[in-house]
Amino acid sequence: MADLRQFKLPDVGEGLTEGEILSWLVAVGDTVTVNQPLCEVETAKAAVELPSPYAGTVTELLYEAGTTVDVGSPIITIDVGGDGGGSTSAESTGSGLIGETNANGRTAVLVGYGPRTTEARRRPRRSGTSAAARATAPQVPAEADHGSAPERPPLLATAPDVTVKPVRHGGLEIGRAAEAHSTRDVAAAPSSAAAPGRGALRPLAKPPVRKYAKDLGIDLATVSGTGPGGVITRADVDAARGATSTPTGALPGSSTGEQRIPIKGVRKHTAAAMVSSAFTAPHVTEFLTVDVTRAMKLRDRLAARPEFAGVKVSPLLLVAKAVLLAAQRHPMVNSSWDEAAQEIVVHGQVNLGIAAATPRGLVVPNVKDAGRLSLPELATALTELTGTARAGRTAPADMTGGTITITNVGVFGVDTGTPILNPGESAILAFGAVRAMPWVHKGKVVPRQVTTLGLSFDHRIIDGELGSRFLADVGALLHDPGVALAF
Amino acid sequence: MTALSHTTEVVDPVPGAGAPHLPGQPPLVQLLTPEGERVEHPDHSIDIGDEELRALYRDLVLVRRWDVEATALQRQGELGIWASLLGQEAAQVGAGRALTAADMAFPTYREHGVAWARGVDPLQVISLFRGVDAGGWDPVATGFNLYTVVIGAQTLHATGYAMGVQRDGAESAVLAFLGDGATSQGEVNEAMIWASSLSAPVVFFCQNNQYAISVPIERQSRVPLYQRAAGFGFPGVRVDGNDVLAVLAVTRAALAAAREGQGPTFIEAFTYRMGAHTTSDDPTRYRLASELEEWKLRDPIARVKAYLSRSGIADADFFAAVDAEGDELAARIRKGTLDMADPAGTEIFDHVYAEMPPTLAAQRAEFVDYHASFEGGAH
Amino acid sequence: MTETLTIGKALNLGLRRALEDDPKVVLMGEDIGRLGGVFRITDGLQKDFGDDRVVDTPLAEAGIVGTAVGLAMRGYRPVCEIQFDGFVFPAYNQIVTQVAKIHARSRGRLSMPIVIRIPFGGGIGAVEHHSESPEAYFAHTAGLKVVAVSTPADAYWGIQQAIAHPDPIVFLEPKRRYWEKAAVDLDGEPPPLFGSRVVRGGDDVTVLAYGPMVKTALQAAEAAAEEGRSLEVIDLRTISPLDLDPVFASVRRTGRCVVVHEAPVTLGLGAEIAARVTETCFHSLEAPVLRVGGYDTPYPPSKLEEEYLPDLDRVLDAVDRSMGF
Repeated sequence: MADLRQFKLPDVGEGLTEGEILSWLVAVGDTVTVNQPLCEVETAKAAVELPSPYAGTVTELLYEAGTTVDVGSPIITIDVGGDGGGSTSAESTGSGLIGETNANGRTAVLVGYGPRTTEARRRPRRSGTSAAARATAPQVPAEADHGSAPERPPLLATAPDVTVKPVRHGGLEIGRAAEAHSTRDVAAAPSSAAAPGRGALRPLAKPPVRKYAKDLGIDLATVSGTGPGGVITRADVDAARGATSTPTGALPGSSTGEQRIPIKGVRKHTAAAMVSSAFTAPHVTEFLTVDVTRAMKLRDRLAARPEFAGVKVSPLLLVAKAVLLAAQRHPMVNSSWDEAAQEIVVHGQVNLGIAAATPRGLVVPNVKDAGRLSLPELATALTELTGTARAGRTAPADMTGGTITITNVGVFGVDTGTPILNPGESAILAFGAVRAMPWVHKGKVVPRQVTTLGLSFDHRIIDGELGSRFLADVGALLHDPGVALAF
Repeated sequence: MTALSHTTEVVDPVPGAGAPHLPGQPPLVQLLTPEGERVEHPDHSIDIGDEELRALYRDLVLVRRWDVEATALQRQGELGIWASLLGQEAAQVGAGRALTAADMAFPTYREHGVAWARGVDPLQVISLFRGVDAGGWDPVATGFNLYTVVIGAQTLHATGYAMGVQRDGAESAVLAFLGDGATSQGEVNEAMIWASSLSAPVVFFCQNNQYAISVPIERQSRVPLYQRAAGFGFPGVRVDGNDVLAVLAVTRAALAAAREGQGPTFIEAFTYRMGAHTTSDDPTRYRLASELEEWKLRDPIARVKAYLSRSGIADADFFAAVDAEGDELAARIRKGTLDMADPAGTEIFDHVYAEMPPTLAAQRAEFVDYHASFEGGAH
Repeated sequence: MTETLTIGKALNLGLRRALEDDPKVVLMGEDIGRLGGVFRITDGLQKDFGDDRVVDTPLAEAGIVGTAVGLAMRGYRPVCEIQFDGFVFPAYNQIVTQVAKIHARSRGRLSMPIVIRIPFGGGIGAVEHHSESPEAYFAHTAGLKVVAVSTPADAYWGIQQAIAHPDPIVFLEPKRRYWEKAAVDLDGEPPPLFGSRVVRGGDDVTVLAYGPMVKTALQAAEAAAEEGRSLEVIDLRTISPLDLDPVFASVRRTGRCVVVHEAPVTLGLGAEIAARVTETCFHSLEAPVLRVGGYDTPYPPSKLEEEYLPDLDRVLDAVDRSMGF
């Protein structure tokens, strides 16, 4: 019974694609044995004899001598029927023979390892496993927490079945498991010296959507994302824009002249702090109008003294000094409410905050342990503090840890106000404009330099009496700075 | 051009005493002439029994049979490439049989005869050339390192291994294989400097088969290679690489000296690559047929057969039995090659590191997913 | 016991402890024995452990690494010192074609527990070949692991962990920081070798560095704080494999990332990190990942190295550019 096998031209070099059959060494009808030379082939690299992989009878020569044949083309047919080739293993293996197609759908196994022919079309995929399907799958865990939720494409998320055991060697734990464990620790708990509070996660969006929102003045933090994994889409931004638009539906920058300013940075921070303070601490505000003519004269005298050369001796400086002196007499005004511990914290030093208007919004840097400073030192500190704040270069550390604050609303020409406590503090003093006013002085109405002080305090800590005494002390010091000698 | 014509016009005055194409060659150690005559050498001798002689003959024949079958398998497309040892059987079997179990050999990529002597299964060597893996044998268990393809790199490994042997105080020696071309490599020269200055128990076994692919030995060296050893400060000896007895004797002596703490030796086994560099090579482009014909007269197997027959150590039955064993071996190699399964795709990841980093584990997982995504299952 | 150590001394103590802990540890290199190494990292070790374990080798880098391969096959744990970064290239063939591949070639039968110590980076006013940053060449090679230390504690523990590790490790030492001091707890629990670490917390921009640039990044963060900007600094510590999970977590908060290294930017580590951060944190990014590194030139003569090396201002410029998006 005929059992026909074809021998395909192998790649006899490394990466050859064709060869010329120089001559046939067998003819149709010849009986051949395994490894008997069949033909001589010349390739770009060498002229070689091709030995037969089969034992049997030659039934067909598929190309004439002198023909150039592509690697992988059948060149000869051999009938291995009967017991032909039985002594060799070539026929018994089934797969792996030259030219036979593997079951796995790969391109037919060319003999040799030269270039493999490939087709210019995609191989069929199991449903739902295309790259596109993966790409649209959620990429972010919905509740991504800091440091422990890698935003990995899901195809990388499956841990491979590789057993790698940590190795102990020389007393050191090494290995993947050990590393993974500690890496998590490192990420979750950076050394306390190094890490201040860690902010919130960024809202998720593609760069064009980010740009779109930015152009519209929409803060992505205020937009909820409906895309996979909570990603904010262009439509989400549009929806957010609709929700925040005025009833007239006017667009930003439209003819109404309305301007929309994104709430961010200092403004955003301030807003949150003020809301928190206003609705946490019960505020009480008291006012006191004072004749500060003497203090203003003192200011002029001080400014002429060599100790104050090069520094600004402002009315604020004297108010600051007055607050520091008064706080010394009434330590409870320099305190904080610790809700968690259910304790009132009376601070050991005064970190005096000065509210400063800057182009970026309100910032409240503070002078650390201001009570220990001499007046010239305090003057220098205040000058630097406000200058730095206006330049927008206040370091975060300078804005934290304040214990009591002065807000100098007078510079804007107003008389007073009801200031809101800087969060965590118990008292804030508003210092109004100093102006010449008719005033009863020594029994006569005369023009005097007068200002109004407004003190807000946290009524949980400071009752009316304490607040009033403190305010009165500040007023007395400004009315007659000599009173300081009595403090 | 001049080198080639120069090398091929010289007639060998004394067959076996030197290279026909290299005039004025120094003498080499020979114990069995190409005609099969046992001769004595003043410095090197061998005490060998009949059984061992027959065993050497069997080694030579089976190794050659394996080589022939592998070449055929490549021509039939079953191997990507094959580096033939044809003509170098005596050098390799002699060196391989000189090793003791406690010794370690560092081969190039052509030392199939040494692999055979170390008990490595031919199919484990074949698997490298079929592209299934980089060699399937256990280097430590066999005392035979994996093939090293970068020319000469293994000579440093051998030297370092010998430094380890030194530190262990072990009774072992190391045999570093290299070719004539490799002697031009900086790393080979570094290895010889290290071995010499540290007195490492390593023997450098250089098979000078006259060509580095196409480039003849004159381009590598203007002095006989073995003489280079003097410059490094240890003995060098040229041995007839087609004389299995001489190779065995010289290598045994060198290994023994190394084990005794006398440091390295350089052995130049003077031989000839009868075949192509590899199956991808065409030697007719750079050497003449007459040269090949001259070397055929020095065939390493024919001389042993002549000696065994003439001295009555083996008879026709023995030779026929060895030939039959060769055919059985060839059939086993053929079947084993065709049966050799392709490795699993994930093999490429699994041994890159002793401890796989998470980054590579992620790639591996992606690879598995990717291939599983096709209809018909993973490749 | 806590001691204040320089990075150099920490390495010396770490090597000493490794030699004590494992008799198979062998140190090899040029001038490391009697001289104690050109940076004195191996000072006193040959005297105490003998010249079989602390080997003054011939002057041949390929030989140092190539023989280490053989020693490793024989069960030893060789620690090779390459005297300067620019001299590793004669050994490059052995490192890439042999050291990196033998475990795979042998299908796991042969391990290569080899440590190749390289003092790397510039800033010491040296001549050519003494100031290079070749880490990318090694990080690109499968089979190698690459780490860079930046502190005495990491130097002390890292060298011991590297020696104990079963895979070959290129161990990069920031040569211009060899003399920087810090307290090291010699009995403490070492951090994992292959983990990056947040060394300064911040919210505005994530700055990544390793080796000598960690200090530069920290200084940049200090200066930025003065300006009201808060930089989070991560010491990558491991270059191959990269440990980027802490980086991803950070970038998801800051939305901005700057990578700093001395090596030239083109195809440097920064390029790889930029790609990975973009792939993984795409939706969180407010700005493209920016790179600060050496220029694509040979390392310059020492009078120009300050211009070549990334410094605080170049880091802050990149921060500014990032914030400008």
